[in-house]
Amino acid sequence: MDPILHMINISKDFVFHHQEGIRIRVLEDFSMTFFPGQATLLTGPSGSGKSTLLRMIYAGYRIPKGNILVRHQHEMVDMATALPSLVYDIRRYTIGYVSQFLRVIPRVSALDTVIEPLIARRMEPRKAEQRGRQILERLNIPENLWHLSATTFSGGEQQRINLARGFAAPYPILLLDEPTASLDPENRNTVMALVHEALQAGTCVIGIFHNPLDQKEIAGRIIDMSLTSGRQTEA
Amino acid sequence: MTGPGQEMPLLRVMNLSKFYGKTVGCHEISFELGKGEVIGIVGESGSGKSTLLECIAGRLGATNGSVFFNSSHGFLDLCRTDEVLLRKIIRSETGFVTQNSVDGLRMTISAGGNIGERLMANGMRHYGQIRKIARQWLETVEIDVKRMDDLPSTFSGGMQQRLQIAANLVTDPRIILMDEPTSGLDVSVQARLMDVLRKLVAGLNLSMILVTHDLAVARLLSHRLYVMKDGRIVESGLSDQILDDPREPYTQLLVSSILKP
Repeated sequence: MDPILHMINISKDFVFHHQEGIRIRVLEDFSMTFFPGQATLLTGPSGSGKSTLLRMIYAGYRIPKGNILVRHQHEMVDMATALPSLVYDIRRYTIGYVSQFLRVIPRVSALDTVIEPLIARRMEPRKAEQRGRQILERLNIPENLWHLSATTFSGGEQQRINLARGFAAPYPILLLDEPTASLDPENRNTVMALVHEALQAGTCVIGIFHNPLDQKEIAGRIIDMSLTSGRQTEA
Repeated sequence: MTGPGQEMPLLRVMNLSKFYGKTVGCHEISFELGKGEVIGIVGESGSGKSTLLECIAGRLGATNGSVFFNSSHGFLDLCRTDEVLLRKIIRSETGFVTQNSVDGLRMTISAGGNIGERLMANGMRHYGQIRKIARQWLETVEIDVKRMDDLPSTFSGGMQQRLQIAANLVTDPRIILMDEPTSGLDVSVQARLMDVLRKLVAGLNLSMILVTHDLAVARLLSHRLYVMKDGRIVESGLSDQILDDPREPYTQLLVSSILKP
């Protein structure tokens, strides 16, 4: 099978100009290949580059060194050099990303937040809402909350809105930043089921999973990021 | 499938400079805007953001450089277009939303008149049709249609800004330029304006340049950001790259200075 994602010699430094110019090397010469339907579980302590890796694949962090080749509509595209218009397209159709925390927008209902990725694909609003309701129900968000802004929701509820949004549309590549961190056991099971369904459908899932239970339930490779790179150097 | 900006750009700014005597307004600015793309220009007061925007809008004459615009009359350098044609293009194919609605609205004619005036300026004559379109636009920007015949001076600041946006969008311009549209408004009023704008951007596939010092507003609406300081662009990139992975010292300072409630 052809890879769907190919990371080649990725390095990433952060330089903090206002903190004595300290330079932190988070990734060094990181290379890895990913296939459709494959699960990759990232582990390791804070600062070992797990979130950075996900954000670089999404091009939310810049890619100063190395290549991140993504198969987008039958072509391999390098996220490091792709034009902005192509990156928007890749984010709309090929790579989904569920951040650790929901970015809440005032006045936007939970349902609208969830279906936004579908609307961005020009899905008919009625159909999108139907799909949105379905996934909100699965994630146990009570119906009386659907039309409220998530501003006042609890942390766990917000994370479930975020997950519902991430799973509303299918993606060939799905990036999950600690998707089960703030969930009770029942909702965790639901998320596990959603992950399994995505894998079954051929999605390449790359996620940060700390819970050993998650690691046991998802059949995939476990990458300990503290072993791959992650070292701090002074400027 | 074509995303925004894959064809010819809608706008290509090249080496644009504006000097006020010896003072730099903006210096050697170059960038492109694709169709359906929203670019945010951020930076502190006095960084040259508004000067840049006014040069693009033809409201200020640039000292040097070009502003190529994909108009209905072809790909023209607005800095070198004959005055009559320039006025025509600016009027019918661009929109400009100002920070103070007093500058962007006619306070002595009704809300409906402010919208209708643009339609008439572009040749529409049928009174009933003009009123119908004006009413639809008031609804779109969440202004009670009962206020249609009231003067904008009787409106709140947030309503005035929403009216200004409606008056600019009614002629379906190819590009919208916005200069600090949310500043000076209470946060709750701001949230409503942002919501209206967000829906318009998504629903109408607007092409827009948004000047703002508010990074939250910039993130919410813009695909890409340009950071300006002392008249120059110091950093540019996708909005999340600029705000989550700022590289330049000035951008890092700007991003780390926001209080997160």
